[in-house]
This record gives sequence, C-alpha cells and structure tokens, in this order.
Amino acid sequence: MSWRRPALMLLAALGGGAMALPAQSGVRLTPMANGVGVATSVDPIPGGGALTEVRVVQPVVMGLVSAAGGRLQGTLTLNFEGLTIPGGELTPAGWGEGFVDRRHPHTTVHELILGTPDLLGTADRGTRLGLLVGKGFVPFGTDDPMVRPFLRYPVNHHFAQVLERAVVIGQIERGPLTVEGALFNGDEPERPSSWPLLRLPDGQWRFGDSRALRVTVRPLTGLELQGSRASVLSPEHRPAAGGRAEKSSASLRWKDAPSWGERYLMAEWARTSELEGTFVFHSVLVEGSVRRQAWSVGYRFESTDRPEEERLVDPFRSLRPHLENSILGIGRWTLHTARVARELADPDQPFRVTPFVEATLGKVRKLDAGIFDPIGLYGRSTVRQLSVGVVVGWGMRHHRMGRYGVLATTHDQHHDH
Amino acid sequence: MPRALRLALLVLLTAGCGTDPVTTQPQVFVTLVAGNNQTGPVGTALTPFKIRVRDEVGTAIVGRTVRWNPVLGGGTISPGEGVTDANGEATATLTLGAGAGPNSARATVTGGTPEIIFTATATAVVANPTPLLVAAVPVPPTYGHHDTFVRDGLAFVCAWNAGVYIYDVGNGIRGGSPNNPVLVSNLITNTNGVAGGAQVHNAWWFHNPVTSQKKYLFIGQEGPGTVGSASAGDIHIVDVSNLAAPVEVGFISVPGAGAHNFWMDEARQILYAAYYNGGVIAVDVSGTLTGNMSSRITAQVKPGGNSNTYIWGVTLAGGRLYVSDMVSGFWVLDPLTLATLGGGGNVPTQFVSDLTIGGTTAYTGGWGTRAGVRGNTIKVWNVATTTPALVNELVIENATTISDVALTPGNVALVATAEGGAGAGLYVYSLADPRAPLLKGSVAVTGGLHTGEIAVINGRTYVFTAKNPGAGNTPELRIYDITGALTP
Repeated sequence: MSWRRPALMLLAALGGGAMALPAQSGVRLTPMANGVGVATSVDPIPGGGALTEVRVVQPVVMGLVSAAGGRLQGTLTLNFEGLTIPGGELTPAGWGEGFVDRRHPHTTVHELILGTPDLLGTADRGTRLGLLVGKGFVPFGTDDPMVRPFLRYPVNHHFAQVLERAVVIGQIERGPLTVEGALFNGDEPERPSSWPLLRLPDGQWRFGDSRALRVTVRPLTGLELQGSRASVLSPEHRPAAGGRAEKSSASLRWKDAPSWGERYLMAEWARTSELEGTFVFHSVLVEGSVRRQAWSVGYRFESTDRPEEERLVDPFRSLRPHLENSILGIGRWTLHTARVARELADPDQPFRVTPFVEATLGKVRKLDAGIFDPIGLYGRSTVRQLSVGVVVGWGMRHHRMGRYGVLATTHDQHHDH
Repeated sequence: MPRALRLALLVLLTAGCGTDPVTTQPQVFVTLVAGNNQTGPVGTALTPFKIRVRDEVGTAIVGRTVRWNPVLGGGTISPGEGVTDANGEATATLTLGAGAGPNSARATVTGGTPEIIFTATATAVVANPTPLLVAAVPVPPTYGHHDTFVRDGLAFVCAWNAGVYIYDVGNGIRGGSPNNPVLVSNLITNTNGVAGGAQVHNAWWFHNPVTSQKKYLFIGQEGPGTVGSASAGDIHIVDVSNLAAPVEVGFISVPGAGAHNFWMDEARQILYAAYYNGGVIAVDVSGTLTGNMSSRITAQVKPGGNSNTYIWGVTLAGGRLYVSDMVSGFWVLDPLTLATLGGGGNVPTQFVSDLTIGGTTAYTGGWGTRAGVRGNTIKVWNVATTTPALVNELVIENATTISDVALTPGNVALVATAEGGAGAGLYVYSLADPRAPLLKGSVAVTGGLHTGEIAVINGRTYVFTAKNPGAGNTPELRIYDITGALTP
C-alpha cells in the first residue's frame, strides 16, 4: 500500500465521520474524539473543607477500522488524561489504582484491539464466531462510564468494568445470544504509561492468569441483559502477590431513539469477593436519561461498598504497591446524581458540543468495626459535588466503548449510525 | 713445678671446695605470630594478638603463663593474663584507646625471652551522623520485606509470601558480613488455610538458656484483616537446628485473630505475641515443640476490651510487659498474669504502632491517620511508675507512619523508620537526655522503610531495615551503619 492510501484515509476522516475507501479496498475508518472541560467543586474533601478544580477530562482520540467487508476490525483509543489530570479528577468516593476520592487517569494507549467478528464466515448461517486480541476491555460487566450519559465515574468502576488489559477474546453469537470468554493479565495499570505485564521476571505468565465469561441476551431491539463472571489475580499488585478477586455482574440496559429524542435506562448489580471471601463488596446502580430535542436530563442512583485504605501524606492517594492484605474497613457510599445538558449541535451529526450541569448528593456509612471513620476523615458523612462543563466530541455519541467483535456490529454501535 | 701441673692442681682444689655443679634451665623462646601493626578506628577492638612459646628444640611449651599489658595509647587488653595452649600459643585482644595515634601492648612470658611488643595505630573516627548504607539486598516483590530479626550474626529476613530468608551477616557460617550478606537458606512457611499465603511478617530466634538450645524460630503470619476489628494468621514454629535446612514443625493459632510482633522471656521460656484483635498472648515454649501447640497458650488479654483492642507490639523490660495497642493506647501489664497494671486510653489522637523501652523511658510510634492526625509522632513516656506519663513528642514531617522504633545498646540512640510521604526514611536520635531526644542523622528513602532492627556486629552498630517496594523498585533488605551517629 503506498502512502497515498493512508493519506486518503486521513483526509477522508477529517472530512467527517465514517468513510469508505474505494470499494475494492473494503477498508473503512471511523475517527472519533472526545473531551470535557469542566469545573468541579466538592465538599467535603479528605481533611475537611471544599475544593474546586478546573480540568480537561476524558480527552480521547479513537480510530475504528473495518476491512475485508467487516471481517476484520481494529480499535485504537488514545487517552491523554496522563497529561490533563496526572493527579486524578476530583470524584468523591472514587477510588482505584492508588487514587482515593479522585478518579485515576487512564493509560495513554487505552485500547488497541484487532480481530474479527466472523472468524469462519458463518454469519449467513446465523452463528458467528468472533476472535479478538490486544489491549483493551475484558468482556465483563457494563459499558465504560466514559460513554454513558454522566460525567461522574461511578464508585463501582473497578467492580463493574475490567479494562486496559492484554486480552484474548473468543465470542459466539447466535440469534439474540452472545457468549464471550477471555483470558487476560490480572494486573491493573500503575500509571498512564503502563502496559499490561505479560510475564513475571521469574518466567511465570501474568497473561492468562485471569479469565472472564460474559453472556449477553438481546431479546428485543434496544433491550439487553447481561451476566458475567471474572476471576482476576492480584489486580492491585503487579507482581501478583495479591489475592484473587472473584467478580460477578448482572445488568439490564434499554435504549431507544424515538422521533423526538432518545431514552436510556441501565440497572446493574456487581459483586467482588477478595481473598477467598475475606472482603466482599456489593454495588447496585440504576441510571437513566431522556433527551428531547436538544435538552436532556438524567439521574443515577448508586449504592456501592468501597474498600477504605490507608492514605499517604497526600490524602487523595493510597499506598501502591500494597505491603499487606489489610484494609481500614468498608464504606457504603450512597449517591444521587442528576444532570441537565443541552446539545448545541444537531444530535444526529457527529460533531457535538454539549454544555452540562451535574450534581451529586450522597452519604457514606461504615459497614464494619474497622477504624475507617468518615466523620474523622471528612468532617461529616455527607458529600456534595457540582460539575459545570462542556463536552466536545466527534462521533462518539453512540459508541459503546469496550464492545468488540460481534458486539461491535450490533444495532447501536458506531458502524450503523 | 711445671705451669700445666699447677693449673691442674688449682682446678682440683677448687672443685673440692664443696660448690655444686652448674645447672641451666631449658631456654624458652617467645615469637610473635600474628596481629602486629594493625590500624583501626579509636575505641575498636583489633584482631587478637598471638604469640608462640617453644623450647630450644622447638617443642611447644604448654601451660606457660603469659602476661599482657597495654603500653602506649591508653587502650585495654584482654585477658590480662593467660596460659599457652596445646600449641604453645596465647592470644589477647587490644581495644584501642580513645585518642588517635600509636598504641602498643607487651606480652611477657614467665622465664621466656624476649618480651614481645605489639604495635598498632588508632585512627580518628570521622563523626558522620548520616546513616551509611552498606548493603542493599533485593527481596522478591511478593509484597516485600517486613521485619528482620538479627542475632549471632544471622539476619532472619521476613519476606511475606517469599518466606523467611536467613543471611549470614557476621556469624561466620557462610563468610558473610553486614557489608556482604550471604544467604544461608530460605523457607516458605505453611499457609495454614489463611487467605493470602504464607505472609511471613516477623520472627524471633529462641535461645533457650535452660536447654542451651537454639533450635526454634518463631514466625508471625500476618493474614488479611480489617484494622481495628479483624485479623488472621498463626505463629509458625520452625526447627533451625540445621540453619541450612530449616523445617516447620508446629504452629500456634488463636481463632479469629492474627499474629503480629513478638517478645520473649527466654529465661522463663515464655513467648509473648501481639495478636491484634486477639490481644496479647503468653505461650509456654519449653521443651519440644511440634504440631498444634495452641494448648500452650497460658494467658490472653485484651487490654482495651473486646471491641477496642488491636495490639501492634509487646516488649518485656524491667519486669513489666509493655504493650502498644493501635486503638486503645500504651499499656503496662504484669508479665506473669497479663493483668493490666496501668496505661491505656492515653493516645486518643493517634493509632499507636511500635514501642521500645529504655530504663524508665519508653517510646511509641504512630500509624496512618486518625481523625485527621497523622501518625508521624514519636511519643516519649516516663514509665518510672506503672502509669505511663507522656513527657515529649517528636514529629517527623511529611510522613504518616512511624513504623518501627528501637534503641541501640546502652540506650545511646533511638532509631525510627518512617513511611507515607517525602519524609519517609531512617532517623537516628541522640539520647544524651532520654526524655529529650535530639536528631543526629537521617536518610530519606523513597517509598519508606517499614522496619528497622538494630544489631552490633564486630563493634559497629547497624540497622537492618526493610525498604518498601516503590514504583519500579523492588523491596530490599537495606543495612545501614549508624556507628558514626552514636558518637557524642
């Protein structure tokens, strides 16, 4: 292939949305991009008091490539949060990857997946086999929060999604039923530049030490039921000294697009058991949104248990890597989030400018007799968050990040809008 | 009369005057064998001097008295007097005087010649208060290195799921030294069904004065827990009769609780163990230990009560058992009954960590953050009575935890390790006034030091520390020479 073809693809991409090269090439590139400028105010923060920050969050550039009549797929997502929020995003109750009450930045190479949704060319017989390999989302749980209606990442992000892993995914789809299985590395990233650890210094494989199974049923257009299990070895300790996390997820998702706008509803339950049941964390989340013409409103309820960990001098950081297997207790965070937004551009077009206001009210209570003390830590047990910002994007409005292969060719994916 | 005849008569007459014939002692020859012309820092003990005593035909003279005397430099020599051994040899050790310059000592053998003069040179010690890193030994990153127990020149490095590593750091069995630790053996203890693995946290090598055995090594397993309310993990008993091939032979278990730090009353053959929410236990470890030894627990106490006890450490000193409870404070117990004598409820603003006792002064560390207050304070206590009285506080800035405190022999210095921020590292305080420690030296360590164990080896004072893993760094056994920080 000469230099002309990629240049043509790039020019066409810049020209707008999904594009197709000449028919004989069968290559199709869908560029997408997103970013949110936001001012977030939180009260209280650890240590008491309030804090307001202005940040650019979720800055991503994506490219979805389809070739050979859709038989080959590629996904590349670059995430620049390592540059824009190296210290994390103010997110009360958020946690993971050494951040607490802040959402951690994602890795720069967020997704790099190649594969096929139709390995045997059996689509015409009603059954498809998909095979994918690369770095990205594990077939477990629900959609990534970045592509859901709310800015705020839910507390259950590390219970309901498994991402940024080296993964091999096998899929089988027949009718409304899709079954996915995956092998991957258990370790989560340590920093934005992290790559999955494939093998330990002693030669033991990290890749393949963890596995997942997800069953998705779509009995009606727009309705999706999901159940999944994952067994993840030592996610928070890269050299694999930690215990195994047994994760379960079940969800119902409904989305449709009547003539006047769009409706979305999702309800999920997630459970993670660590160290052979020593610690068990539950989460229930229900969220919905309605868009009528340019205006949209949304509401999320979440009740999620969080492991409360020892913090460093920076109260937004916890100790990584771990030194031991103890925690300070479990806090149950119950949060209500409401959002109002207005589309400044035609929602049916790829370009998007969406100012929004999002507010969260909630509380925390301790579930056990550990030394975690929300009053001592925050000064009170209630929390408030207010975010005002604008989403600027190209082509990501309907994208469901982390759904590959046979699930990437279904109704509400990018290929079809 | 011819001259020759007169001379012969004179000899006969002289001989007939009753004088005994002349007899001679066998000659005793003394030679210098080893140890001459050494150089060392002032106040240090040199490699022993050695002389050899033989007769004129070279036969070793056994049992001949040798006197040793310092001559120059103000040093001391030991022994002052000895006898030659089966090889006709005798040795003595010169400890150099306090001033820099020439030193000498004399060996005098009864009836022997010549006197032997040994010479040596004492060099001035450059007072370097900064702990000097002399060795860094990587530890497998299975969470890392927790506690270290050092005795008889052996370091027992407790490395979580990688087990316990035994290093020769001056014992001699592998030629190791603090500057060059040499691995003797490694053992991963059983999990005993505790989630998370072996989780080897701490150790105590029991020297039994009753049996003169050095057979058992006690290992604490720190299983998963919820700080303040729940814990797990057993005490594992390891037979180290053969240090090259240690074997686990037994265990001690407390239902619903997990082990942390130990102390021993070796004369009474009693092991004291901090057991977090299980309180403090006393275990009879006399005789043979094998299998489940939980029935040997002779006493157990939760000084703060059932829901307010989470014991970090225990220390026996001056006939009392001192206890640090993360949640209920600093306690004094009766070591025989574990009955509470005093203390408790005295550190409401901090989670208490380690403790160490010197005479009538005690020192406790802090852990994490309690009600917004970091655990970066060393509290100094007057323990002249059984009610500890807080007399001073030392703050280590930019840290959250003082994970370990320890005293050098003679209570010359207080050593602390810190974690949790840019202030993490090793701190050495002078105890010229035990109630008002003064910082003499410190070294920052990225990621922090989890523990510090003091040992004196060949006259120098070392701290065996556990360096935490950090971003891209493996955990390490780090050995610091703090001798320079101990000079007045």
